[in-house]
Amino acid sequence: MFKHLFKLIWNKKKQNFLLITEMFVSFLVMFGVFTLMVYYYHNYKQPVGFDYNNVWVVNYSPPENIHSNDSFMLFHETLSKMLKSMPQVEQLSFTSSNVPFSMTTNNTMIGYGNSSNVVSNVYQAEEAYKNVLNFKMLEGRWFNKADDVQGKYIPVVLNQKLKEELFGEENALGKIIGENQIETRTLNDRYRVIGVANDMKDKGDYQAIENGMYLKMDTNAIRFGSILLKVKPHADAAFEGKLFKALSNAIGTSIEIEHLDKKLVTKNKVMIVPMIIALIVVGFLIINVALGLFGVLWYNINKRKSEIGLRRAVGATGNSVSKQLVGEALVLSTLALIIGSFFAAQFPLLNVFNLPGSVYIIALFFAAVFIYLLVIICALYPGKQAAAIYPAVSLHED
Amino acid sequence: MLKNYLKIAIAVLKRRKFFTFISLFGISFTLTILIVASAFVEKLIGENYPEVNRDRSLYINFVHQQNLKYSYSQNGPASYYYMDHYVNTLKTPEKIAISSLFAPVNTYVNNKKLVVNIKYTNEAWWDVLQFKFIEGKPYTQEQIDNGEHVAVISEDLKNDYFGDVPNVVGKYIEADNVQYRVTGVVKSVAITMLVSYADLYAPYTIAKTDYRKKGIMGNYGAILLAHAKADIPKIQQEYADEVAKIKPDDKNFDVVKSSADKYFFSFISANSKSSAVAIIATVIAVFVLFIMLLPALNLININISRIMERSSEIGVRKAFGASSKVLVWQFIIENIILTFLGAVMAIIFSVIILQLINNTDLIPNLIVSINFRVLLYSLIACLLFGLISGVYPAWRMSRLQIVTALKAQ
Repeated sequence: MFKHLFKLIWNKKKQNFLLITEMFVSFLVMFGVFTLMVYYYHNYKQPVGFDYNNVWVVNYSPPENIHSNDSFMLFHETLSKMLKSMPQVEQLSFTSSNVPFSMTTNNTMIGYGNSSNVVSNVYQAEEAYKNVLNFKMLEGRWFNKADDVQGKYIPVVLNQKLKEELFGEENALGKIIGENQIETRTLNDRYRVIGVANDMKDKGDYQAIENGMYLKMDTNAIRFGSILLKVKPHADAAFEGKLFKALSNAIGTSIEIEHLDKKLVTKNKVMIVPMIIALIVVGFLIINVALGLFGVLWYNINKRKSEIGLRRAVGATGNSVSKQLVGEALVLSTLALIIGSFFAAQFPLLNVFNLPGSVYIIALFFAAVFIYLLVIICALYPGKQAAAIYPAVSLHED
Repeated sequence: MLKNYLKIAIAVLKRRKFFTFISLFGISFTLTILIVASAFVEKLIGENYPEVNRDRSLYINFVHQQNLKYSYSQNGPASYYYMDHYVNTLKTPEKIAISSLFAPVNTYVNNKKLVVNIKYTNEAWWDVLQFKFIEGKPYTQEQIDNGEHVAVISEDLKNDYFGDVPNVVGKYIEADNVQYRVTGVVKSVAITMLVSYADLYAPYTIAKTDYRKKGIMGNYGAILLAHAKADIPKIQQEYADEVAKIKPDDKNFDVVKSSADKYFFSFISANSKSSAVAIIATVIAVFVLFIMLLPALNLININISRIMERSSEIGVRKAFGASSKVLVWQFIIENIILTFLGAVMAIIFSVIILQLINNTDLIPNLIVSINFRVLLYSLIACLLFGLISGVYPAWRMSRLQIVTALKAQ
């Protein structure tokens, strides 16, 4: 049966070549779309890992006239004291400006032993950071007062993803990282791992979890930083107005207060809007392709009336004729899918966009099913029409 | 001759309505996407309110300091000090507008929070950019020199802050814990105008970061307005000469780099200009190809089917001596007629879609419209599309043997 269908297609390879190309391109397009959709869904399913409700961010431009370490400390001290005295403020932590759901990122390369270096986010945080965002430690501990003492090694907390990437199953606590980069002069400090925190999805609902390492806030970073505030649920705009005034007077430069939950909405929009536009465009492309396939198949059947009539005359049932036509279309699409899969398979093999391999495989599966369904739907009606051909009528025509 | 082709083309279109529908759907949809996309691009990089003089303007957005030995660098906007000393001193430009990047701050009215984007400017700002004043006027050089707390606000901010009142000039507005006296209200600018967008414009002398502070890096940019388009290379040269003389302010760096560029290129860091342009060009080409490839393939498929339907006509014409070339041309022209028909539909669709986008206020204050340039682009795209999808089927047709063509029926 297959051999026969294949022969029929091979005899008209010139005509079918274009059809195959069209299916092949549609397959690649669908593969791309499904990859994105599966990837988004995969990310969406991951737990957020921290609590962003009732957390506010204060962004400020670098305060003027603060240069020495002492003036940094004083600045920090005054602000903390003032904020802590407000009854609506539960917890607060100074942090680098890459707060959750912001557009800012701070990255560095980091390596362990002789393994190759990986890119990681660097977050500067204080002791209260953990309570503000309410995440969990999986191993070891978070920073405490003792970490302020300057030692040979800088204490660092890794997130689980970075820990697994650097150490795998090995125990990370107490290990020194960044050693080999000292030699190549890409880093100045050695870090000692004191704890592993759970992964936090701090780039938005649809973004993947990234490597992260947390350092204890240094005085210089305060200048370019932000403040994270955990407030009581009843804190309202009136309180925010008061808070703004107090902070504005204390800091002296321009400030802005944002809410993490609103930042998340904005951040998600940045991811979703291009996706929706792409889906609309692809939707129309596919309607276009479907109509085209339908037209061509329909036309081909009209042209092959005599052949079909002959088959009916020698005893083929209407059903088997229509099955044959749908089968032909499916063999064509299989050919296109084989070529398409070859190209699609390069993405996980060459690790092009650094996505997990399973995402590509699921996307490949969905894209293949989609193309088959599309082809079957487009071939069904022409096939049914062919089944209705009367041998007497069609043979008479010739 | 052309008239004849037109007649034949229309007759063919009428014959199989379903195929005509498929072809027109594909063509009009593809061109609609291209027209809408180019309308957006035009809105982003073309001349729009209030930057109507972009063709004779140069932008300085970044200064780049580099350490040549260890190849680390710092890239960002410059300080007001830098702008005043190295940019404001240029002789060739007619006017030089200096402004800070817009920065969001908060204000609270009636227990409601408003986010206000503040921008600090010099006086020439109001001459270089053609703002439409709904009431009042810009602040003067004297007010800037005196460090008066005055501001020009956008119409949106006026409505949000003051509500529906007829006149707000002379009233006070509080933002970032500072009281400003309103001197004017301008028509709001869309946020896509990265350089000119803000809700509140105020003199640079009252910015919270001191404008007298020395140093190269800061948060200011400049727009250089030339007397005429021809002066642009001269200004670029003059600025390049000036930059070559500047010493880095930090001992970690050896060189300062900065250039005055046309709007679009001014956002690309001085260090990676050529490679970035190549990447952008590739991305656009791939996008257009991706959008056009499937519909074009589809059209080719359908065209081939339709030619075979007309084999008797082709056979007869060939038998009476029409050369392959004549037939190929006929077919391409028919196809281009079809594409233009699709283009007309596409323009109608695009107008409807753009109207919808404008009405939904997807991006506040952004009014996207089709202008002459966009139409020109889409006509070129249309011709290209017609040629791509017409050439191969026409070639196939012209190679038909007379005997087979006649026998087919």
